[in-house]
Amino acid sequence: MRILIVDDSAMMRAMIKRVIKLADVPVDDILEATNGAEGLELLKQHDVHLLLTDINMPVMNGADMLREIALNDRWRNLNRVIISTDGSTVRREEAEQLDVRCYLEKPFSPEVLRDVLNQLADNEFAETE
Amino acid sequence: MSSTNSPTMSLPKLSDPDTASAMFEAVRSVAENSFFAVAEPGDERAFAAQAAQVPAWLVATVRFEQGPLNGSVACTMPLTLARNLFDAFAGRDPSDPEPGQELVHDLVGEFSNMVCGAWLTRVASTRTFTLHRPSVAPTLAPRQNGGPRLLAVIDDVPVAVEVHLTADPQSETSPA
Repeated sequence: MRILIVDDSAMMRAMIKRVIKLADVPVDDILEATNGAEGLELLKQHDVHLLLTDINMPVMNGADMLREIALNDRWRNLNRVIISTDGSTVRREEAEQLDVRCYLEKPFSPEVLRDVLNQLADNEFAETE
Repeated sequence: MSSTNSPTMSLPKLSDPDTASAMFEAVRSVAENSFFAVAEPGDERAFAAQAAQVPAWLVATVRFEQGPLNGSVACTMPLTLARNLFDAFAGRDPSDPEPGQELVHDLVGEFSNMVCGAWLTRVASTRTFTLHRPSVAPTLAPRQNGGPRLLAVIDDVPVAVEVHLTADPQSETSPA
């Protein structure tokens, strides 16, 4: 499984990477981007299975990136997870429309993210069997 | 406390007890969930006594906006606490090399970013705000602009949180 983390905070990306390594999921590669535009470029270049993205970022925010992803059939099977401080009902409703599988609100404990990763990995393998 | 979707609604000020309570809950939630730290309410007298012993502070300011509503949340903490929070967040072993200034600033910025977002979710859950990248700077002492501030103690270390609302609530009584 290849995972893409999109967050403008280097510390948050490092923390997410640490949790991924502690989770019981088979990871081949972890890619990182600091904004939505960089994230889209990496998605074009690599076959990514799981996207973990922040919302508030410079250059291109996570919501705009997810709208672009939703428009492209190439990424219809991409698992999308939002990890954001924005817990508003408006944003959560929009996320549902953009096929976001899980909305994780910051702050979160590492265990919560680990459980989400394990659940997504289980679903991924169940669907491919 | 939540606002409605009305464009005429303003944000409550930190002088409002419910708003201050929401801010403390935001700080406590961030400290406990992401940094494995214990947060308790602080008061001015204890803060002043503890702050006098602190030689170096960091202040991280996050600007937020949504239409006519905009402002900022600033968290000020001792540099020593920032380094301790870094270790907790990054899982750094004390024997590992000391983190560079850029990473410590990034950490304090993320702390403030989470506090700001958690507070806004509590006081205005139906609104979607844009949060800008935090600006972080060293300071010799916590600034105080005369307005109310939320004081907390995280792992026995003083922290101050200020909210600055740019929009005048009186001017938001009619839609633009």
